[in-house]
Amino acid sequence: MATQKITSSSTAEYFSKNLQQVGFSSQTKAVLTTLKESVDNALDACEDGGLLPEVSVEIEKLGAGSLKSADKIRIKVEDNGPGIHADMIAAVFGEYLASSKFGRGRCSRGQQGIGISAATTWAQLTNAQGALVISKTKDMRKAVKAFVEVDIKHNKGVLKNRETIDWDRPTGVSVEFVIDGRIMLNGEGGLLSYLNGTALVNPHLTLKYKLPDEEWQTIERVSNVIPQIPGATEPHPHTMKLGEFIAHSHLFGRMKASAWLRKGFSRVSDGSIAEIKKAGLKSSLLEKHVDALAEPDFRGIYTAIQNTPLMAPSTRSVLTIGEEALSKAVSRLGSVDFFSVVTRKPTICDFKPVEVEVAVARMLDSKQYDPESGVTVLRFANRVPLQFDKSACAIVKAIETVNWRAYGLQQPKDSIPLGPYVVAVSVVSPFIKFKNASKETIDASDELVEEIRRALIQAGQRLSRHIRREEKANALEEKLRYIEQFCPILVEGICRITKASDSRKKKAEEGIIKILGRDAREAEKDLKEAHESLEEHLESGAVKRASGDEDVIDTHMEHLKVGKQEAPRAAAKRLAKISEKPVALSKSAKAGKSKKSVTPANQEVFDFAKSAGGRK
Amino acid sequence: MRPSNDDLIPKLSKDLCLRLLEDLEKARRPVLLATKCALDNAKYSPKVGYLTPGSKKVRTELNVSSVKKMSRAVFMLEVVLRNIDTGAVNTKRELYYIAKGEIKHNPKLKPLDFADQNESDDIIDFICEMLECYREELNCYANDRGGQTYSQDLVVTETMTDGTKAVIDLSKLGTSPFQPKNRPQNLKLSMKKKIDFALIVESEGTANTLVANGFTRRHNAIIMGAQGVPSNAVRGWAKLIQDQLKVPMYFFGDLDAYTMQNIFRTLKAGSAASLIRNSDYSAPDVKFLGVLPEDIKKYELNDYPVKENDAQEVRALKKADDALKNDPFFQDRRNKGLAAILHWLLKNKRRCEQQAYFSVNPRDPQMPEKIIVDKIKKGEFV
Repeated sequence: MATQKITSSSTAEYFSKNLQQVGFSSQTKAVLTTLKESVDNALDACEDGGLLPEVSVEIEKLGAGSLKSADKIRIKVEDNGPGIHADMIAAVFGEYLASSKFGRGRCSRGQQGIGISAATTWAQLTNAQGALVISKTKDMRKAVKAFVEVDIKHNKGVLKNRETIDWDRPTGVSVEFVIDGRIMLNGEGGLLSYLNGTALVNPHLTLKYKLPDEEWQTIERVSNVIPQIPGATEPHPHTMKLGEFIAHSHLFGRMKASAWLRKGFSRVSDGSIAEIKKAGLKSSLLEKHVDALAEPDFRGIYTAIQNTPLMAPSTRSVLTIGEEALSKAVSRLGSVDFFSVVTRKPTICDFKPVEVEVAVARMLDSKQYDPESGVTVLRFANRVPLQFDKSACAIVKAIETVNWRAYGLQQPKDSIPLGPYVVAVSVVSPFIKFKNASKETIDASDELVEEIRRALIQAGQRLSRHIRREEKANALEEKLRYIEQFCPILVEGICRITKASDSRKKKAEEGIIKILGRDAREAEKDLKEAHESLEEHLESGAVKRASGDEDVIDTHMEHLKVGKQEAPRAAAKRLAKISEKPVALSKSAKAGKSKKSVTPANQEVFDFAKSAGGRK
Repeated sequence: MRPSNDDLIPKLSKDLCLRLLEDLEKARRPVLLATKCALDNAKYSPKVGYLTPGSKKVRTELNVSSVKKMSRAVFMLEVVLRNIDTGAVNTKRELYYIAKGEIKHNPKLKPLDFADQNESDDIIDFICEMLECYREELNCYANDRGGQTYSQDLVVTETMTDGTKAVIDLSKLGTSPFQPKNRPQNLKLSMKKKIDFALIVESEGTANTLVANGFTRRHNAIIMGAQGVPSNAVRGWAKLIQDQLKVPMYFFGDLDAYTMQNIFRTLKAGSAASLIRNSDYSAPDVKFLGVLPEDIKKYELNDYPVKENDAQEVRALKKADDALKNDPFFQDRRNKGLAAILHWLLKNKRRCEQQAYFSVNPRDPQMPEKIIVDKIKKGEFV
């Protein structure tokens, strides 16, 4: 047997040959991934620097690309972040797995330090030129401008044509790629979907963009609150494997094992140590220094701690967008009829802290949002839109398991609901389990699907109050119409067959109005009750907020735009006219409360309603 | 049989409308009760011989939800009363267009407009349920499908609307059959010489073949083609032959669940959907001649398994299982022979067609006839 030479390759070599694994599997995805990685980096940098992000995106076609049926595309992303120090530029854009965030357990968009280097590699492979970067930090008088390329053989970033230039901004980064690709604007995997999705879950972002053959567009920020990304927490011992457990000890030098367990891990207290001892672990072992422990010692401690019940990991490390910010951001999706938002309390799924937030909005633009088609699903992981492979995603699976019919939406069996709705679900966690390296699909574990499902159910319940109220308004409308239309026809027909006199006919007409008027009044009562229940629900949130109940986060009700008609009053008048008798109006209807209450289906009512069920 | 009385329906209609009017004058909600025509309200007694309605009623109360239906019913009632008055007859489809025409010429009636024929058909059925009558009594007839009858010995006397009588000697019709009407109550039957039996054949084509090959020349018999599920015309005609001629009657059809439940049971005992008219549209004396399960072995008939993609037959098998549990006809011990056939079909999941008799001796065109006559003689029927 001939001996074959074993060679080793650099990380960059691996990725340069497997770019499809990190989002460069097609021409259209190449453009989207390059944009996405650049914007993610820009947003992370701004948030790390405590700055409100202003990001500008410019995409243009330069001509034919080098690959068959590809265009040559220029993608430029600029931010107002703190900038990158000149010495770090090569590593950030040209070296794989060079990241300030790798394994830190924070809810940042980028995690491993692969994406932007992959974009540079793609530019290098398809256009023989890396990324053009301009960067300026507050310590720099002039900006640095250079081409960054990946030294594929050694997985190193290389700066070329470095120069210092005057730049008309205090700090920031501009990165420009010229790549082969194809531009897809619309559809779930389109650039617009990405940009709108990013705007939805980043209310503090001002986004300017220019797409080919279009003018510059600006989406202004709707929140001035910079999300505070919580610091990382120590790892939970139940989430570690033996090898990780031993390697973790090396970070602590000479320290007693018991102290290492308490300081190096979360949820390990003195009580926990006592429990471990009680379970049979020798005290002497815990008194040893960690650097003196042998592998069997570690194994013993590891096994003992795995068998000791500990508190679930802390949820402090997750970040929320917040219902208020999400509510404001929903209006960026287009003309919204009404919507509900839910921010769940952070929880633990699969031993990882997770925060789920949901926005469900009914849209008015029937051209863009077809009432007969499935709802538009927007998925987000750590505030980054997910645009591919949706069928296997935990978010889609959760949407399919909710019985939306109970909330007034149509839904084919085991499928997403139908209608002109947007269902946006954001999952935030320092340890999101993606199904692939390109981070397109969240793994559908049972616990995570259940948590998302609960958020969706809460959102659906809130939404259904609006829908039910509409249905009742429509029912009342139809009943009144029926009385007007059919009563005379029925009575006249009966009288013709029986040859009844005019006086009998008149009496019968009065009788039928009395009978059916009772039905209509019942319908009117139902409608009022539906309205009052909705108002009570919303107002109860406002009361809690006023009383400073901290369990309830920022709950209030605001009507951005109200209906043109006051349907209960109109209905009562119409009924009175039919029956020629005044019909009593409830106090609220008389006082004009109905202004907020009735929303016939075809009436444009923008309700801005939200509450805090998830926090309760 | 209910007396054929042209005044009956107008009277029932007027009474109904008067009740409605009186209730309305008193601002009282009118309530209409109609017989529930469903299997769970069907009763079967072998003494009566057909499915009869139980005590369950469908209650229709006037309210905002039912006012449209009620208005449409009164409107359609006026149309059919006019037909009864003038003697005009129509099919359901024609009534649909008549109603559309009335609405077109009177804009006030626009809210009553029917979007499609199903809607007007439902209203006609609703009127029948309210008045507890047949659609034929409303002068609304179905197409006279099936029932083509051949005999050398049968004479039919029909009383025309003007009182004149038409006498039809079936032996004088040559190769043409006699076609019964949906309302056979106006017919009087007589025999030129004693008729030994009447044979109702499921397939119209096979009935024609038997006659063309000389069945009615060699036997004093009546041959009738059912043409699948028997129409009201076929059912009423079979009832008439049974009542007036009192001759033994046999049904010859396929051995499968669909034939047993949808064709033979309907012919013999009526259906759950027509509980209120089964008395006039069923012939309880008719026997199931075959194909019987034992015939397959005896005559080495070609049978074959029920195909999974044969939706009608698969559905019929499912229904057969349900029928054995819930259908009072198949549950009655007098019909245990018929129930046994359903059990056999469910167990074996095989079927055999009536035309399989032609395979017994392919060169003898009279072989099916010989088998049929032999089975009748030997009493091989259920």
